[in-house]
Amino acid sequence: MSATASAPAIVASGITKMYRRMAPGFQLRTLKSALLEGSLVRGLSPEEAIVALSDVSFEVAKGEAFGLIGSNGSGKSTLLKLVAGMLRPDSGTVAVDGRVAALIELGAGFPPEISGRENVYINGAVLGLSRREVDQRLDSIVDFSGLEDFIDEPVKTYSSGMYVRLGFAVAIHTAPDVLLVDEVLAVGDEAFAHRCLRKIEELLASGRTLLLVSHSLSLMEGICDRLLWLDRGKAQMVGEPRRVADAYREAVAEEEGRRHREEKEREEGTAGENSRAGAIESTAVDSSDGSRRWGSRQAEITAVRLLVAGEERYHLKSGEPATLELTVEARERLDDFVFGVALSTPRGDEVWGTNTDLEGWRPERLEGSARVRVEIPALQLAAGEYVVDVAVHSREGAPYDYRKGALSLSVTAPSAAIGVYRPPHQWRFDGGVRWVK
Amino acid sequence: MLARLLHFRGLLLTLTARELKARYRGSLLGFLWSLVNPLLLLAVYTLVFDVVFKNRAGGAQPYAVFLLSGLFPWIWFSGALLDGTVSLSANAGLLRKAVFPAEVLPVVSTLASLVHYLLALPVLLVALAVARFGLHHPVGGWSILLLPAAILVQLPFTAGLALALAALNVHFKDVRDLLANLLTLAFFLTPILYPLETVARVRPLALLVAANPVTPFVRLYQELLFFGRVPGPGLWLQAAGLALVAWAIGSWIFERLSQTLVEAV
Repeated sequence: MSATASAPAIVASGITKMYRRMAPGFQLRTLKSALLEGSLVRGLSPEEAIVALSDVSFEVAKGEAFGLIGSNGSGKSTLLKLVAGMLRPDSGTVAVDGRVAALIELGAGFPPEISGRENVYINGAVLGLSRREVDQRLDSIVDFSGLEDFIDEPVKTYSSGMYVRLGFAVAIHTAPDVLLVDEVLAVGDEAFAHRCLRKIEELLASGRTLLLVSHSLSLMEGICDRLLWLDRGKAQMVGEPRRVADAYREAVAEEEGRRHREEKEREEGTAGENSRAGAIESTAVDSSDGSRRWGSRQAEITAVRLLVAGEERYHLKSGEPATLELTVEARERLDDFVFGVALSTPRGDEVWGTNTDLEGWRPERLEGSARVRVEIPALQLAAGEYVVDVAVHSREGAPYDYRKGALSLSVTAPSAAIGVYRPPHQWRFDGGVRWVK
Repeated sequence: MLARLLHFRGLLLTLTARELKARYRGSLLGFLWSLVNPLLLLAVYTLVFDVVFKNRAGGAQPYAVFLLSGLFPWIWFSGALLDGTVSLSANAGLLRKAVFPAEVLPVVSTLASLVHYLLALPVLLVALAVARFGLHHPVGGWSILLLPAAILVQLPFTAGLALALAALNVHFKDVRDLLANLLTLAFFLTPILYPLETVARVRPLALLVAANPVTPFVRLYQELLFFGRVPGPGLWLQAAGLALVAWAIGSWIFERLSQTLVEAV
């Protein structure tokens, strides 16, 4: 899966793409009006253009799995379509080395009234296969899709999952040099998703290239060698999947927090303390180890420690008693506050999280400095690395101080295990079971 | 353009077959409809113009056979343009969601319409045979062997126009309405209902008919099929020239507009 040093498979440099507004007053053009204006192709004036991508550049090496993440409308699909050659950039260039197969949307390229089998031929032809080549692969395609019983039915009777399975089966069997996949893995069932992933790994291993769009960050982190985070058409960050995905997650959380605060402000009017609280810009601090921090800092978490038997530690044995200790400094007197802690894997899967509000503590007052401890009699985690997030925020969720990745810890255990939970357990055997001593 | 179409020839054929199948699917007579339609036309025109009216269209006897020899290629032409014009907008889903070679679609319309023409030909051929051997009219002849050449010349002419119209229709929704009206007009300015000679005396009309780019094509068919004559090189060159120009302009317009096709469709 590692990138090779040969020429890149995809080179995008400085691409900008604009769409014409389709709102009333912009869209309708008749031949008559075009003839009156004297030009068939009209340039976009600024007020009728929507910028979908703005000066985005990236390179994807051969054999690399490259992922695009970002919220809806951030330009991911547009970018994919540009790479596929379906759209042309308004400025900048996209160069792709090799044959491209694209799965852009559900049921891409399936005329609805005709059978799955005929559609395989049409799709194969679109992707550049001759009839004979499709013949050779037909069995394998049908087999992969798992649609043996439905292949002669018209595709309009297919479920969305079946569409995707057939589309993916055809695309993957054309052995493309570059495979573009937009969010389709999320649609198939578990078994099919696994088959797809295996096939994708095979493709990557044979030096082919993958460009993937998905909202499933954990999937992206699992498959991709690098991620590109797009935000409103701009490349925000590119690099190692975990770092980029975390940064994106935090930006989303921050955005949510900001929205919360704004809503609250609107509700409470502009008077008094609260407006001042809103006026303090929340700042996200990006540090080198991938941790992030944001919030209004009306209260601040100045230190986070993991204590085992009163001693600060960064690693512990599974099942050991542990205490998480936060030192809090309140800049002003607060009557609305919640302390929260959360454990997650470095890949972002949440393990456990809780806060004082969830557990029924009703805030009365926070002022000056304070110490908050969560005592865990036995931290029964499976062996591995974990990340601790801590926060103090209002009951509405507006962050005072949110520290993601405030602490990393590594857990060791007598044996490896699957998952994150390692309850105390014991094997017992009766009857005809014998073990080598 | 041509290279890309050749590259996708498998797709062209598959889609053309699909188009034809879709048209006849679920119909009682299936492909027989392609025969029934022209047969009906032949019967009606024979009745009206050769029996009821005893037409005055000069040497063109029997009139119904003359009419059909020009009408069938016209139906191919106009059908291809009408279908081809909407071929892109009708397949918007395909174009927006998949990497689909859009230029294939108008050409598929042209080919499907051509197949209809070929399926209707037997009716005309039988009618010609009856007129020649049964009724002893001096129609038809060995010149019919050159029919494929006429079809080959008309193909790029029709496909070129279909390409241009399809791309234009994506950007300007009134192209189809415009086309439908233009075709109605052009039909009467093409010597299909009347032999070219009959308008020669009406000066302005003769000029319009001569300027009509479809005229040479229809005349090719009439000469080859009905009059049984091999047309001179002048007519062939005229048709071939028009075909070349239509193809060149058509693919140029298509390529020019295809840059914004996917987002506009």
